Amino acid sequence: MAKPTLGVFGLTGCAGDQLVILNCEDELLELTELVDIKDFLMASSGNDTSCQLDVALVDGAVLSQRDEDMLKRIRERSRLLVALGTCAVWGGVASLDRNQDRTRLLEDVYGEMGKKYDSLPARALHEVVNVDLSITGCPIEKDQLISAVASLLQGDPPLYPKYPVCTECRMREYNCLLIERGEICCGPLTVAGCQARCPGLNVPCVGCRGPADDANVESAMNMFGEKGIPREEIAAKLRTFAPAWGVNV
Amino acid sequence: MTRSIKVNHLARVEGHGGVTVEMDGRSVSSVRFDIFEGARLLEALARGRHYTDVPQIVSRICAICSVSHSISSIKATESAFGVTPTPQTELLRDLLYRGEDIESHSLHVFCLAVPDYLNYPSVVALAADHPDAARLGLRLKKLGNTIQEVIGGRAVHPVNVLVGGFGKLPTADQLMALRDELHQAAEDSKSVVDLIASLPPADYCSKDTVFAALRPKQFGYGYYSGDQIHVRLNGKTEAVPAAEYRSLANERAVPHSHAKHSQYKGRPFMVGALARLTVNSDLLNGSVADVKQKFGLNLPSGNPMDNNKAQALELVYDIHRSLETVEKLLADGLREEAPVPVRPKAGSGTGVTEAPRGMLVHSYSFDGQGRLATADVITPTAFNAASVEEHLRRAVEQNAGDDDAALTKKLEMIVRAYDPCISCSVHLVRRRNAP
Ligand code: SF4
Ligand code: SF4
Repeated sequence: MAKPTLGVFGLTGCAGDQLVILNCEDELLELTELVDIKDFLMASSGNDTSCQLDVALVDGAVLSQRDEDMLKRIRERSRLLVALGTCAVWGGVASLDRNQDRTRLLEDVYGEMGKKYDSLPARALHEVVNVDLSITGCPIEKDQLISAVASLLQGDPPLYPKYPVCTECRMREYNCLLIERGEICCGPLTVAGCQARCPGLNVPCVGCRGPADDANVESAMNMFGEKGIPREEIAAKLRTFAPAWGVNV
Repeated sequence: MTRSIKVNHLARVEGHGGVTVEMDGRSVSSVRFDIFEGARLLEALARGRHYTDVPQIVSRICAICSVSHSISSIKATESAFGVTPTPQTELLRDLLYRGEDIESHSLHVFCLAVPDYLNYPSVVALAADHPDAARLGLRLKKLGNTIQEVIGGRAVHPVNVLVGGFGKLPTADQLMALRDELHQAAEDSKSVVDLIASLPPADYCSKDTVFAALRPKQFGYGYYSGDQIHVRLNGKTEAVPAAEYRSLANERAVPHSHAKHSQYKGRPFMVGALARLTVNSDLLNGSVADVKQKFGLNLPSGNPMDNNKAQALELVYDIHRSLETVEKLLADGLREEAPVPVRPKAGSGTGVTEAPRGMLVHSYSFDGQGRLATADVITPTAFNAASVEEHLRRAVEQNAGDDDAALTKKLEMIVRAYDPCISCSVHLVRRRNAP
């Protein structure tokens, strides 16, 4: 049987999730025995840029007409499209600007010339095309990437936690930064999967993985309230990585 | 007769870039290094944020250089608030930068550049015929990531680095495991030297070149410490204090690119491994004394292809130096210390460090509550863009007789040798007053 075909693409982002693929140093060469990587511009100059693909992995968000056209083209040629990383899944850091005047920002940064650039407000992939699987994280976690590839090869989608980082933090018996130190930790609302990486290092979670489906937003907000942390401050923190937290202030 | 050469999608570089050349007979009418990345405006978006949020936001400018962005940001903030990190923090940061450098250089040298010299499209294709070379590169790349995980808390976008220190210090067990990996790598580094020394020569565009790099203040040849920029111009070295970095960055915004172009005294200049070696090689210790010679690396070199060799040399050096640091940390024992207290105040500060691909500047001002008022970030690829175009122009002039395919390959190799990081390059904020 022919090997499944794979493409790896980057829209506008930091390329961190593509880098995580290359960071699978122990698995990379083995992976290429199981799948046929047809198109991966960051890693290869010998790409087939028009063939049909079984799986397309896409990182970054849509920030320009060029990104949008590229993404639609990838969608047309792929059976499964996987959004890789918080930018692709939620909009990511660049979506911080959704409530700011983009023309002004562009002028701030580039002067008059800024008006001429191809630049759109950040959108997640699902706001532009149909997405089959989302792997969140900024960047994605290596083990979640590997399990996704393994599951896709077997034909069933991987299962990821829906509970918040807080749950992982408690399972590991880390000190709670919110209750014990009154720090603004986004763990109660952020989706797990990183093994509560930051609280494990005594550093508050900044919500880099985006919202948790199963988070109890109201009770979390009450907890912040009890610590005297204003709602707006939490909302601003949360918006750093994803505009869609459903947190009303 | 007019002729034009266009590379629409530069492969094996980070981000979306291209090259366009227009010629009229033998004379070159225009050369452009194009950048197509969408603009994310992160520094503008970070304005108004509390200083503790800033390193995490600006880290996302670029994944491969995320340690450099986070720590340059922290250095700028510490300088604005008058915070002095402890010597232990500084030593750990120095080691963290070496981890980033090892990872980035292994990726660039083995996965992006060496395939060019040996005529393969990728490291995967290279692995089919030269499995040892490919595995060697991946092994060292992993080592760089391990250092970043142990010190920085994550291989990409470190979470453990804070203004004033670290969230948590590495454990002795982690350091011992790292020491073992570094011993193995010190063995491996001999194969790196042999491989790079055996590559066919490549010289398509040598010309007199200006170089700029941060001058380290402690820990020998390195990437983190220091607050003076040294520029090598016409055989002489000129020192520019970090806070006056703007004299190296009289930028012009150009229509074909989201990166602005930098010059020093009217001359484009090169930053990166070759620039560091040119400016700082007196700080290298004995562990690489013979490597320069084995690589046939004669400094100063106006051949940007030598940047690949310079990176390989740094890779070898960093392995030895990191091993010394880890052994010292194990011998002395790590002192348990919390980050030094930070009292925010209104003011401004500049943090300059050496990212793997060259000098990186973060310059900030804060209000009295410690919220970011203005931010100015200048990345290595932005510093390099004008110099890339100068070398490309020379290559076209020297190789005008080549057919399109041959000339295109040379142009791509030159751009790749600069190791551009295009996500990085589009992030430039004009200094403006707080709104
Ligand atoms: S999700 Fe994070 S790691 Fe991935 S591209 Fe966006 S900023 Fe980079
Ligand atoms: S703890 Fe929070 S900020 Fe840290 S990696 Fe996990 S989701 Fe991201």
